[in-house]
Amino acid sequence: MKKFIAMMLAAVLTASVFVGCGSTKEESDSADNGKKTLVFGDTTFNAENEEGNVNPHEAYCGWATIRYGIGETLFKFDDNMELTPWLAESYENVDDLTWKIKLKDNIVFSNNKVCDANAVKDCLEDLIAVHERAAGDLAIDSITADGLELTIKTTEPKPTLINYLCDPYGCIVDVAAGVNDGMVVGTGPFVATELVTDDHLNLVKNENYWNGDVKLDEITVLTISDGDTLAMALQSGDIDAAYGMAYASYPLFENDDYTFTSTATSRAFFLQMNYNSPIISDAAVREAIAMGINKEGFVNTLLNGYGYVGEGAFPDTFSFGGQKVQAKSYDPEKAKQILEDAGWVDSDGDGIREKDGKKLSINWISYPSRQELPLLAESAQASLKELGIDVQLNITADHGTIVAEKDGWDVYASAFVTCGIGDPMYFFNTHALESSVKNRGGYYNADLEELAKEMNSTCDADERSDIAIKMQQEIVDDDAFIFCSFLKMSMISKSNVTGLKACPCDYYEFTADLDIN
Amino acid sequence: MKYTCKRILQLIPILFAITFLSFAMMRLAGSDVIEQKMQNTGQVVSEAQLNAAREELGLDKPMITQYFVWLKNLLHGDMGVSYVSGKNVFDTFIEKLPATILLTVSSILLTIVISIPLGIISAVYQNKIIDYIIRLLSFIGNSMPNFFVALVLMYFLGIQLKLFPIISRGISIESLAMPTLTLAIAMSAKYMRQIRATILDELDKDYIIGAKARGVRFSVTLFMSVLRACLVTIITLLALSIGSLLGGTAIIESIFMWDGVGKMAVDAINMRDYPIIQAYVMWMAIIYVMVNLITDLSYRLLDPRIRLGDKSL
Repeated sequence: MKKFIAMMLAAVLTASVFVGCGSTKEESDSADNGKKTLVFGDTTFNAENEEGNVNPHEAYCGWATIRYGIGETLFKFDDNMELTPWLAESYENVDDLTWKIKLKDNIVFSNNKVCDANAVKDCLEDLIAVHERAAGDLAIDSITADGLELTIKTTEPKPTLINYLCDPYGCIVDVAAGVNDGMVVGTGPFVATELVTDDHLNLVKNENYWNGDVKLDEITVLTISDGDTLAMALQSGDIDAAYGMAYASYPLFENDDYTFTSTATSRAFFLQMNYNSPIISDAAVREAIAMGINKEGFVNTLLNGYGYVGEGAFPDTFSFGGQKVQAKSYDPEKAKQILEDAGWVDSDGDGIREKDGKKLSINWISYPSRQELPLLAESAQASLKELGIDVQLNITADHGTIVAEKDGWDVYASAFVTCGIGDPMYFFNTHALESSVKNRGGYYNADLEELAKEMNSTCDADERSDIAIKMQQEIVDDDAFIFCSFLKMSMISKSNVTGLKACPCDYYEFTADLDIN
Repeated sequence: MKYTCKRILQLIPILFAITFLSFAMMRLAGSDVIEQKMQNTGQVVSEAQLNAAREELGLDKPMITQYFVWLKNLLHGDMGVSYVSGKNVFDTFIEKLPATILLTVSSILLTIVISIPLGIISAVYQNKIIDYIIRLLSFIGNSMPNFFVALVLMYFLGIQLKLFPIISRGISIESLAMPTLTLAIAMSAKYMRQIRATILDELDKDYIIGAKARGVRFSVTLFMSVLRACLVTIITLLALSIGSLLGGTAIIESIFMWDGVGKMAVDAINMRDYPIIQAYVMWMAIIYVMVNLITDLSYRLLDPRIRLGDKSL
């Protein structure tokens, strides 16, 4: 009897659990209402990345405006990162301080209001009034509008003004329509209808789109912060496409059911040398490190081929990038010889070289938030040990505090988008010049400073490209910076999704051609 | 009543101490929200711009000053705004609380429903095959970390069987099922063993033999005496679990996109979003004090020996 009671009690209670859970799954809404709907998962659309809404005049929210096809800029970058017209038809650099931009005549906002020079003027004036970074980049003194012609005067010569207008903050929006719950009225193929920060964004087709028919009726962008969840959501069909998938999950989708779209971006994973360190100030040590890091092995093995080996500061999608710069190739035997010749020898037989009683040990600082950086650190630690260099790793979220000091670190490995707006000077201005904010290692090269001055007074694109190559060669020859790899950015979608294409600048995702069959 | 008031008053020094400690410890963590934002966006700004941004948030002032400014605002009913989202902290917190409370209630209920019957069976059939199976399941459940259970459930129930969605889209039974199961599996594994041990201990007592000798049915003894005697143990376990669950389960909330306070707290810690962290710390202190108080009061109701002050306990 007691067995029976116990069994019944257990069975009834346990069964009740599964009755509660076992509700039937509703069919997806896209199938029911006859509309073409796409669900997109993104790990980066969140307030932490300063993308709390889709108003381009706020922080970095313009990235979402442009990526999700809500807003468009006057010009855009093509697959070679060259400028091409978008809302604008052409531009003319009248003099050092004056630019004339002619707009296309058929542009309308999604609320059907005409997007003429006056609307663009209002938008840009609002931008520089409220967005400190944009105001600094653009250095606009005044804007005048006449029909479809816009004249911009800058406070200083700005050879890269048109490039800066391609930054996501440059999305042209109808400022008169205002900002409603973080949503704006743009000219893009989609219209934002509902936004919940860090959760989702709903988009519908722009019925008034100026540049062709929009194929999808609705898109939902879901913020999914966990990489495993993103992968499983795509596998289960909860989402149709994904951005920000972890490398480790890629093999799950390398089959006919899914489509990859990939491109080399200018997000570089690179080393910065600390010239204040007695060990690193020895040119032989820097050269040995440059020759001792197996970049190809890192990209092909640890990144499973989802990256590009770096030479200079820019990938080969740029006219001034890729093989146009000659970096030192991986040659451990030659690296050993260089160290021997410089007096670094292993006299006590412990596998680590010494000189004047000092061990050849370097402090390698990096951070964990980019999945590639800890892998790079481990790879370098192993390959440099073969040369007799001891690498002490410190991978910490508090890396900023450490490298802000002159001492206490030798090599800093980080990730940086070196050419986000197609302007090579951005990297040098921020990292390699004497006045650069991120020149943490105190690097100085007089020839580089001269080249920078020349670049700042040059407007011709070809000439700028040549100078950019020379500048890269300078820093690579000094082994002040070692560019290990570039991010291969990929989006993965179900095979029935078409028109989703990765672009090198990482700005454009949703277009009128995006479709699901 | 006096006892309850005294316990609630104890909250004041606890809140003061714990908020001060958390404030100080977050400053020891190194970077601040300005640096974190710069890192996340790849932004390059000068030291002067960094300092101006810090001044705007009051982060340039000494830690003690910052704490007392925060405390003063709190006493005026202002918990501040999030450094990251710019939203009111109290509103943000209240917005996320229902999801956490719902997940807490559902997972506790499921845990009770699974662990009590299985614990009873395991004890009643001690050293029989069914006891071994339940103990093995309990061992497996205890050994697996929550995130692994979550991934296994997602794979089988979400991808293979397509019973539940992988990601939560709002609050619904479908969305609630997998996070609830994940939490309940780990807790049930722990509870089953505890309940089994408590019942076995109770079944060894003299009054059980006495009842049997008097011809009392086993089911009556089990439900009216044994289970009732075990309630204090079960309530203690539940109180501990409710405390930690109400603090949110950051990993589970992140994996299932369940928008609760646990995920909010971890995001805030990563971004050094001090006002959100302080609100979370206060919430944790309040729930632990309140849950412990309710538990103590429930002991007095459930067990007459405690109420009557049995010195042998």
